[in-house]
Amino acid sequence: MSKIIGIDLGTTYSAVAVMEGDQPRILENSEGNRTMPSIVALSKSGERLVGLLAKRQSVTNPKNTVFSVKRFIGRKWTDEEVQHDKAWLSYDIQESSSGGVEVKMGDKLYKPEEISAMVLAKIKSDAEMRLGEPVEEAVITVPAYFDDAQRQATKNAGEIAGFKVRRILPEPTAAALAYGFNKKKDERIVVYDFGGGTFDVSVLEVAEDTIEVKAIGGDTHLGGDDFDKRIIEYLVKEYKQREGVDLSVDSLAIQRLKEAAERSKHELSTALEAEINIPYITADASGPKHFLIKLTRAKLEELVHDLIEKSITHLDKTIKDAGFTVKEINEIILVGGQTRMPAMQEAVEKYFGKKPHRDINPDEVVALGAAVQGGILQGDVKDILLLDVTPLSLGIETLGGIFTKLIEKNTTIPTSKSQVFSTAADNQTSVEIHVLQGEREIASGNKTLARFILDGIPPAPRGMPQVEVTFDIDANGILSVSAKEKKTDKVQSVRIEATTSLSKEEVERLKKEAAEKATEDHKKRDLVESKNNAEQLIYVTEKSLKDAGEKVPADVKESITKKIENLKTVKDSEDVEKIKSAAGELSTEIQKIGSSMYNENNENKENKPNDNQGAAE
Amino acid sequence: MNEKDEVKNQNEISDHSKCESEKNEYLEGWKRAKADLINYKRDEEKRFEEVAKFSVSSLLKEIIPVLDSFDLAITALEKNGMAEKGILMIRAQLEDALRKGGLEKIAAKEGDEFDPQIHESIGEEESEFEEGKISNIIEKGYSLHGRVVRPARVKVSK
Repeated sequence: MSKIIGIDLGTTYSAVAVMEGDQPRILENSEGNRTMPSIVALSKSGERLVGLLAKRQSVTNPKNTVFSVKRFIGRKWTDEEVQHDKAWLSYDIQESSSGGVEVKMGDKLYKPEEISAMVLAKIKSDAEMRLGEPVEEAVITVPAYFDDAQRQATKNAGEIAGFKVRRILPEPTAAALAYGFNKKKDERIVVYDFGGGTFDVSVLEVAEDTIEVKAIGGDTHLGGDDFDKRIIEYLVKEYKQREGVDLSVDSLAIQRLKEAAERSKHELSTALEAEINIPYITADASGPKHFLIKLTRAKLEELVHDLIEKSITHLDKTIKDAGFTVKEINEIILVGGQTRMPAMQEAVEKYFGKKPHRDINPDEVVALGAAVQGGILQGDVKDILLLDVTPLSLGIETLGGIFTKLIEKNTTIPTSKSQVFSTAADNQTSVEIHVLQGEREIASGNKTLARFILDGIPPAPRGMPQVEVTFDIDANGILSVSAKEKKTDKVQSVRIEATTSLSKEEVERLKKEAAEKATEDHKKRDLVESKNNAEQLIYVTEKSLKDAGEKVPADVKESITKKIENLKTVKDSEDVEKIKSAAGELSTEIQKIGSSMYNENNENKENKPNDNQGAAE
Repeated sequence: MNEKDEVKNQNEISDHSKCESEKNEYLEGWKRAKADLINYKRDEEKRFEEVAKFSVSSLLKEIIPVLDSFDLAITALEKNGMAEKGILMIRAQLEDALRKGGLEKIAAKEGDEFDPQIHESIGEEESEFEEGKISNIIEKGYSLHGRVVRPARVKVSK
């Protein structure tokens, strides 16, 4: 069974997503982009172009480049919208025999759904390329205000493109699905969608298993493109005033200015000031001229203030149409790239008195939500397949009372993890496995689940034996912990039931406690680790002094012994810095063992050139 | 066999076939999950490769306008006879560094057929060339590992 993809068929841009595991993911198109222009063209050489390629040739082929066809899909010729839009289009449209709209491209006439189908066909083949399998079914989104005819025409477009259209989904509903709000029963959601060319407001109400659209509003000719236009107009005017040159007649200058204006708009979403720096923008009798104007966020906001205000007026009206008060709205979702503008977010927040949701990329949220709907239809999001997670981390106590996590909290189960540990003392023949649950870094701060002992470890120096500890949680949350000594294969294990049965309150309490004690615990852990390192260092140094025996010069040996003594006295103190510096001194000092032995070895070589049995080799 | 036994038998058969179909459903689900994971890992690897290959594109997009400005500066200086070798060398140095990062110049010259795969038209003009051919290259185009970072901006003959 092939996957059901979710398609946001937009007025200016389209995007496509698919469920992967329990998360939707945007599929990049063949050009490597996450969105694609909803544009179709018949090139001068008679080739059909879709998306970015159609956009690239639009300036020189305006008659045969069809954009914004979504404005005509399923509409009657006599519709006010159609008559209004007809005036500013660069391509020709006319009335069809059935009273609908027909688009002229080349010598042929097309229905708007045939044009949309060309966009969808590219989406289909690009998605198949990405997924490496045929894609047959799709969920396609439409504006909430689309009537039956428009929805049916969109569905037809999908079918012409070769899809089985499983559902036509309103865009605001898709956005709510992407945020998982279909589970928020009885909540009321407002979707504020400020796209490139259109502005839509929708009020939704979540009922049992359904999301109902209660009211819709907006302006089909208000969008982010208007913001860009305002910026460019301002910059052209400003430059004319300063330099006396009209850039609007110079196509290269305007091209560079357009890009710079768009970049500065994006930059001003995070910075308070953007410098628009375009060297050699033009030239006059006196020589080349440059463009350098600072645009502040405040200036940008002043330029578009009325447009944002207009959107808030629509917002207010739509909520009233739905019969709700502002206080009755539970969630607000921002959709559309322009909502990245801080002033817009602030305006919405001020209106509602609470923060809108905008964690999901506003350009992609509708496609992602359509994919979620596809997943629900496919059964990927079936409740019985919902997998549990471990609410708290699981691990064991290690040297110095440290809690070493094997399974991190929020890991999806069933799962298993292994890690190899060793002994802390020479000739240690048994280890105690202390199984704990919790978030504190210090073992004693966490909940003990079990203790058991693995014995029969063959005597060996510390750090040599290998004990593999395995944690395994099955789908029912039952934890099995086993410890295996790798040389003898001796195993001990324990089974602990109900690791996930903690009450929600208990989990919250433990997490809160861990957060509160985080700094304190971290300090303690740092201290323990420094002590452990110090001990290890002392052990290794003493061992190598012993092994090297007489090869180490007496003065070196003496200075090292002194440093060891020093470290031994400070290691039991509570002063991390002192321990660390003493350990540092010792580790510098022990390098002398190596270098003195190396020198000696070299001398030996000089003395006895035929002797290849140097001690340090 | 009496009637009771037959009923019992039939119940057992239906229980059995229910178990059987459940088993198949679970096995199917398990296989699917395993396959999904294997496929996901493979896709993820591919995606990592792509990310590594194209992670510089956004930086390159920012640097390309600097190259444009260099071109314009050099043209302007040449006109006044002020183009110093040093400036040309700095430009070459910058281009060289970008080339090492994988950036390639898109070949485009006046008289070439306009190709939206690699060119973007920003205007039309009368010229000595046939209709539909490139009449003027306004800004150079660049690609990274075969993917267009910026198409060459051109004027097309009408």
